[in-house]
Amino acid sequence: MFRHLRTKLTVLYAGLFGVALLLVSLAVYTAISTNARGVVRGELLASGAAFDRIWAMRAGQLQTGAGLLSRDFGFREAVASRDEATIRSALENLRVRMDIDVAFIVGVDGQVIGGDPRALSTAGSQIMRAVDTEDAPSGVLVIGGTPYQTIAAPILSPTLVGWVVFATKLDKGEMTALERLSAIPLDAAVLGRNTSNGWTGPGGATALFGGAPPASFSKLVDKALAMKTPEPSDFSTPTGDALALVKPLKAIGDGPPGALVLSYPMARAMAPYEPLLVMIVLTGIAGIALLTGGSWMLARSVTRPIQALDEAAQRLQRGENAAVTVETGDEMGRLAESFNAMASEIRERERRITHLAMHDAETNLPNRLSLERAIETLAPQAAADGEVVVFATLGVDRFLHVRGAIGYTLAGALMSEVGSALQRLRPGDPIGRISNGIVGVAFRVRDLDEARRIAAHLQQALEGPVHLGKHTVDVTLTVGLAAFPEHADRPGVLINRATVAIDQARERNRKLNVFDAKAYRDPAAKLSLMSEMLGAIANGDMTIHLQPKYDLRQRRTTGVEALARWTHPDRGMVIPDEFIPLAEETGHIRTLTDHVVSLAIAQQAALAQADHAMAMSVNISGRLLSDPEFAEELLAITRSAVGEICLEITETAVIANPALALQMIDRFVSAGLKISIDDYGSGLSSLAYLKQIRAHELKIDKAFIIGMADSQRDALLVRSTIDLAHSLGLKVTAEGVETATAHALLGGMGCDLAQGYLIARPMPLEGLIAFLGRETQQPVKPVRLAATDGKAQK
Amino acid sequence: MWRLYAFVVIAFLTLRASAAHAGDIAFSLSNMRGAAVSDAVVTVYPQDFGRAESFKFDWPLEVDQKNLQFAPFVLIVPVGSGVSFPNRDTVRHHVYSFSPAKPFELKLYSRDESRSVRFDKVGVVALGCNIHDNMVAFIKVVDTPYAAKADAAGLATVRGVPAGMVQVRIWHPYLKAPNNEIVRAVMVSASGVVREAVKLDTRAAPDRRGAY
Repeated sequence: MFRHLRTKLTVLYAGLFGVALLLVSLAVYTAISTNARGVVRGELLASGAAFDRIWAMRAGQLQTGAGLLSRDFGFREAVASRDEATIRSALENLRVRMDIDVAFIVGVDGQVIGGDPRALSTAGSQIMRAVDTEDAPSGVLVIGGTPYQTIAAPILSPTLVGWVVFATKLDKGEMTALERLSAIPLDAAVLGRNTSNGWTGPGGATALFGGAPPASFSKLVDKALAMKTPEPSDFSTPTGDALALVKPLKAIGDGPPGALVLSYPMARAMAPYEPLLVMIVLTGIAGIALLTGGSWMLARSVTRPIQALDEAAQRLQRGENAAVTVETGDEMGRLAESFNAMASEIRERERRITHLAMHDAETNLPNRLSLERAIETLAPQAAADGEVVVFATLGVDRFLHVRGAIGYTLAGALMSEVGSALQRLRPGDPIGRISNGIVGVAFRVRDLDEARRIAAHLQQALEGPVHLGKHTVDVTLTVGLAAFPEHADRPGVLINRATVAIDQARERNRKLNVFDAKAYRDPAAKLSLMSEMLGAIANGDMTIHLQPKYDLRQRRTTGVEALARWTHPDRGMVIPDEFIPLAEETGHIRTLTDHVVSLAIAQQAALAQADHAMAMSVNISGRLLSDPEFAEELLAITRSAVGEICLEITETAVIANPALALQMIDRFVSAGLKISIDDYGSGLSSLAYLKQIRAHELKIDKAFIIGMADSQRDALLVRSTIDLAHSLGLKVTAEGVETATAHALLGGMGCDLAQGYLIARPMPLEGLIAFLGRETQQPVKPVRLAATDGKAQK
Repeated sequence: MWRLYAFVVIAFLTLRASAAHAGDIAFSLSNMRGAAVSDAVVTVYPQDFGRAESFKFDWPLEVDQKNLQFAPFVLIVPVGSGVSFPNRDTVRHHVYSFSPAKPFELKLYSRDESRSVRFDKVGVVALGCNIHDNMVAFIKVVDTPYAAKADAAGLATVRGVPAGMVQVRIWHPYLKAPNNEIVRAVMVSASGVVREAVKLDTRAAPDRRGAY
């Protein structure tokens, strides 16, 4: 919510103070208004009581006057004798003398004499009803809509002949007198109830309630009169609230009653306190302003160090100088101190880590990463100047031997020495240790020839005896060079290439060698070869050739071995040694084998069609023997074979996972497939496995057969192997039969089958059919097929 | 007791004198609350009652002023008779009446001074004293010999009334009725007493305190 702590603190403090002030103001206002109301209430009640007194006093005065008149002998005589003129004049006389508004008499028959007869039309009967219950009634009489305080006194002469009625108006003047009696300037009025138009009073009485319309004004009065005891109550008027006391005034007789209304607007009651309230509000505003300013200052002084720390922490994050100036001795100061200590430790540690990351721990020479960074910055500069960056690697010859001789510590010291010497020779150029026995240096040159000269110079300078304490080591170096960007597009690769260049130099027995890209097979190329192989399987470039297996007893070809042949559209024939190991490594051997087996079965069928029933041998990679899924697939494919299918498996294939491999071999045998142990004798030929594998055939490795002609031992081994196989119930096939001598020897030894260039090279189906056709015509001429001394192939 | 005896004797004589077939009416008067009403005047008019010849009552035709009071409060007077107003107080009195039956004024007269006034009109004459407001009395001027005033027990007996239906008028100064009088018809037997109990709606006497 708040971006800054100081804003938060300021708002919080000012807010709390504001709330407190508001509460105080409310309390003060409530107290004042309660007090004011109390004062007004008291005044209203007091004025009400005063009015009662005035009312009674006036009633008394009227009564006295009326009494006097009623007892006047002449007046009594006038009344008794119905002398109206005299009566009127007597009434008028007293009315003026006593300052009475209306005076008249009512006869015992209800007849009114004196006053305005029209205005008093109902007054006579009202007085008559009043005197029915009282001798000298008094109360409010409404004459012409105006309330009058009225009394009636009986005229006895000596019997009752009528009543003298005096009525006096309670108008503005009277009320002003009452108002003056009160301590507060309240409004007073006496109202009369008029049946037709509610409560009315002498002119302007309705102004009491802020000029409320007569209907609602009358409602207010009625409501107030409904109370049991007259209490000051609140009135809402168009001009604001007022506190008013409404006292009922008894009517004379059963006539419409009157009401005394004393009202006081609250606004007027509150007016004296207004300056106080204004003062409170002004003080409050000033207080809030002061507090806000103060809080702001305080918060600033508190948060300034925090802000400084915050900024320092951000600098630390960016790796900049993060020291904070310590200003105070309080918690903030201590925190800043701790922060500074922490920051410097972090920087020191960072420096060490960076050093470790960039240096070889053993020799303290810059490491490979450091060199890569250096080359990265060097390369664009060189390119801008039209130069190239060359990386030269200097490998200590026979480093492993040297290290074995002098130990790891001294070997490290040796490399350190060589590196230091190199740095002295090429000051300013980035050097570093690449691997155990190799140091390197990057430099800018115009061309490779210049690089060669520099490298040769370095080599010459660095070779020679190096003294390591008591020991002296004679150092010879092989130098490899690689150029950027000619040989590599990245610094890391450049260093690798230069290292490879050393290997290439040693292979070629050179002292100095520039990286030879042609001789270097890139791992990435291997992967692309595999994808090409899969493509070849799909588009038919991957085919098989068949090599005849010649039965030495029957003197004819009885079987063939299917061999994969890949004709690459650009590279021509790709030798199996190049792609088969790779296929095994990458797992694509299964696809390849499936393809070869499928082709082999198809071609076996084609041969049978050409009247040449042949046993078909296929090579199964050892890796596939641990793949049960492959086994199922193979069994499914071979089910459609028209003749015998023989799986050639190397003995070593079984060693990887003997139990599983033997189990699978058993499954193949059960399914009617033949098993042949391939390349017997080339690896770790185990008699134990020979016993366990349920094979039908043993193929003796061509190395023994080729060597047989010259080596008596090989001949012996071949003979005894044949005997061994035969005694185990296995047929024996000799591979690599290339000479007639071998052929003859094998025949003599009782070998069952022969395979090799002497018999025939692997060939496509058509060639084989032709070959077999020829064989049928000349059955006993295998030796005639002259051997060549070419490299043996399966 | 002797007065009661005398009463009976007088009544007997009267009956003897006037009619052969006559009876008495004994009125018992009370107000609405059941209290006896005194000073009510009962007058009886027989059916064939014409203009009565001169008659007299056996009470003195006199209104004393004593102790600042008139006495009696109500006096029944035959029409055409004179009434004397003797002052027996030590103070002076100023007796007056504004009643239409007989307005008169006896100006200030003192102790043992007696004035006399003739009442020759039937009606009620209210008497007052101009000096003493508390003093009030009524003179009931009647034209029938069958008249009686209720005593303190509210009893009034009219004797020797001719038998048959008669008109009875009961008047009291404070009776709530026109002219403070009610009219009744009563059947009078040839002899004996007819008892009539009448309830009178009276108002209280006006307050006459002269406090002003």
